[in-house]
Amino acid sequence: MSKEEEFRKLYEQWRRKTEELIAKFPERKEVFVTSSGIPVERLYLPEQLDDQYMERLGFPGQYPFTRGIHPTMYRARQWTMRQYAGFGSAEETNKRFHYLLRQGQTGLSVAFDLPTQIGYDSDDPMARGEVGKVGVAIDSLEDMETLFEGIPLDQVSTSMTINAPAAILLAMYIAVAEKQGVPAEKLSGTIQNDILKEYIARGTYIFPPQPSMRLITDIFAYCSRHVPKWNTISISGYHIREAGATAVQELAFMMANAISYVEAALEAGLEIDQFAPRLAFFFNAHNNFFEEIAKFRAARRIWAKLMKERFGAKKEKSWMLRFHTQTGGSTLTAQQPDNNIVRVTIQALSAVLGGTQSLHTNSKDEALALPTEESARIALRTQQIIAYESGVGDTVDPLGGSYYVEALTDKIEQEVYRYLDKIEQLGGAVKAIEQGYMQREIHKAAYEAQQRIESGEDIIVGLNKFQIDDEPQPEILRVDPKLGEKQKEKLNHLRARRDSAKVEQALSRLRAAARGTENLMPPILDAVRAYATIGEICNVLREEFGEYRG
Amino acid sequence: MDKIRVLIAKPGLDGHDRGALVIAQALRDQGMEVIYTGLRQSPEQIVASAIQEDVDCIGLSCLSGAHNELFPEVVRLLKEQGADDILVIGGGVIPAEDIPYLESQGIAKVFTPGASTKDIADYIRLALKEKKRKLLVDPPKKIAHIGIAVKSIEDSLPFYQQQLGLALEGIETVESEQVRVAFLKVGETRIELLESLSPDGPIATFIKHRGEGIHHLALEVDDIEARLKQLKENGVRLIHEQPKEGAHGAQIAFLHPKATGGVLLELWQYDQQTEEAWA
Repeated sequence: MSKEEEFRKLYEQWRRKTEELIAKFPERKEVFVTSSGIPVERLYLPEQLDDQYMERLGFPGQYPFTRGIHPTMYRARQWTMRQYAGFGSAEETNKRFHYLLRQGQTGLSVAFDLPTQIGYDSDDPMARGEVGKVGVAIDSLEDMETLFEGIPLDQVSTSMTINAPAAILLAMYIAVAEKQGVPAEKLSGTIQNDILKEYIARGTYIFPPQPSMRLITDIFAYCSRHVPKWNTISISGYHIREAGATAVQELAFMMANAISYVEAALEAGLEIDQFAPRLAFFFNAHNNFFEEIAKFRAARRIWAKLMKERFGAKKEKSWMLRFHTQTGGSTLTAQQPDNNIVRVTIQALSAVLGGTQSLHTNSKDEALALPTEESARIALRTQQIIAYESGVGDTVDPLGGSYYVEALTDKIEQEVYRYLDKIEQLGGAVKAIEQGYMQREIHKAAYEAQQRIESGEDIIVGLNKFQIDDEPQPEILRVDPKLGEKQKEKLNHLRARRDSAKVEQALSRLRAAARGTENLMPPILDAVRAYATIGEICNVLREEFGEYRG
Repeated sequence: MDKIRVLIAKPGLDGHDRGALVIAQALRDQGMEVIYTGLRQSPEQIVASAIQEDVDCIGLSCLSGAHNELFPEVVRLLKEQGADDILVIGGGVIPAEDIPYLESQGIAKVFTPGASTKDIADYIRLALKEKKRKLLVDPPKKIAHIGIAVKSIEDSLPFYQQQLGLALEGIETVESEQVRVAFLKVGETRIELLESLSPDGPIATFIKHRGEGIHHLALEVDDIEARLKQLKENGVRLIHEQPKEGAHGAQIAFLHPKATGGVLLELWQYDQQTEEAWA
């Protein structure tokens, strides 16, 4: 059999398998056509299938997944539209969730305030001025119950941007589900739980790297047994990019971190194929359209090779890089905020053309404050217009084979490997972070970008070119300034009401677990069920693990 | 002026420090000395570092929305510790409607996203200069006198005395300036007629080039020495860097006309006793 015949045979196999799949899970339409009635094929291929094509691209849903992780991609199901939301109190955020679900959002994504993310109760002196500001304030299971009131947890998937105290918030989510009568096996969603990027880029760490890694691997182990549909980590390039990294650095540093998590889990005695299918990724999308698309495609190929060749994973699901994308908050301008709708559209489109599994589109007013209900709706509508009107999801990987996109994909892959080699030389991601390597690289890139903007070499419309005078000020969302006080009162109430002996008992059991090596999830769950607060739980761990100082 | 020292600080829990780091780097490139506090600093810690590091300016960065609580607290604590000569500026995700409040609380200026680092550096430089200038006690109290160069006091006096009806307070000789002067009181100020004692004296030279007429304005000030020092630091060209004795034992010094828009300005300080002696 000639090579060409061999490749054709592989293609036929793929086609038959895909059709079998479609028989079980039909595509959105039987026939896809353009507005002129021209039929749109599921997949477009080069004239000649050769070694290079098979090795670099392959077919969608097949190793190395360059063309997407599903054979039918958005022809079968649109990506999950998951808008990040949360502010003020649990009541207010619960209302916003219900609003977004009514508007057609298909998954929840919770933003927590900074005290919650750093493990402080709302009445902690460190929480001054911050309660409910960038997300919802959660002090105990009581708040979490309010947050998800009227939302059946077996029917939505929920993403939670929580890192250092991820184990505690996940425990609260499981406990809320228990109260709703939903078993943990049915829960689906994601916790961000990526601590390494906090040391590099986002700053919401609590503990030093070693115990932080332990908390993560404990979550991997616990979920693989008890919460099997849960994505136990979302390895995030997003914040690395927002801190000023280039597209290549975003991908390289998140991959370096991902390698560290895998190694930590293996060292903790987990099997690669047991946890790898539950690893998820979180990307940023900035304005350089084709580079972004190429970044997503390169990411899938790099991950597939790493998992298969370096870590010897056997399951196909372990090779697949599944990712959420958020458009680039730092690309938005406070000047002429309506322009941001256009930026977000371009960025969202790059994520869709790059094959994202879920998407958050930023609201136009985010350079000024948290989104208003109106701006959050426009952001969601942007995704819906791309999904339902543009037709870009009617064929799989529409830019595959573009000379430019393929060349960029290859180039990005190459540059990422260069960084990975360098980080390997430094002793891996944790060591590289401890030495400040990634931080310096990102800082340099951020500074250079700022200089290009100030010199006019890079044009930002409305900011350094095409400015207007006397811009009207848009309406912005304001968080109730009395919220901090209200939250304190609520907390005092809870402390007076709950069974304090039970809380004490749960906390000392947690302390003992922290000193030993047992999995921390069960004692955390018990503490949460006893209505111990996030501050109390984190303080026990702070006392045992120490605190990280940047 | 010595190198400007700036503390870039991140109050509150917000961990996004890209802006803070970029500005710190940019200010360093602009020749300033910059200290960065790192994340999660309380207002107390920020003020303590600022005082310990003896900075001229604090730049606060906050993206979490906690600015209305945290920024004014920094200013309040600076005041409490007598360090309110430190310039405080702020930046981050700050809605326009919050800016007047922050300014009313003593934040000198708020830079919102899109501000150029050069503008921030220029602002700091200028604001610190302004601040130093403001440190110059109070503005001059009044015009002490208007100096008029005349060839002969005796020839000029009749006009002022007879036609204008001004009272002559006295005539004296100031050897150091090689002049004879006559003072005539006009309301709360005076006219000073100056006559050269020698053909090469400054008044004689002035008349040779410009003819008779207004020669200088004297501004009455407190603490002439501190004021001269400050003017010198601010780069104002002076004729006298130290005060000297003028008519009636007053302390005087001249500023160079190049620094004042072509007017010869005299600073003039005398005590109450001297003032009474005139009467």
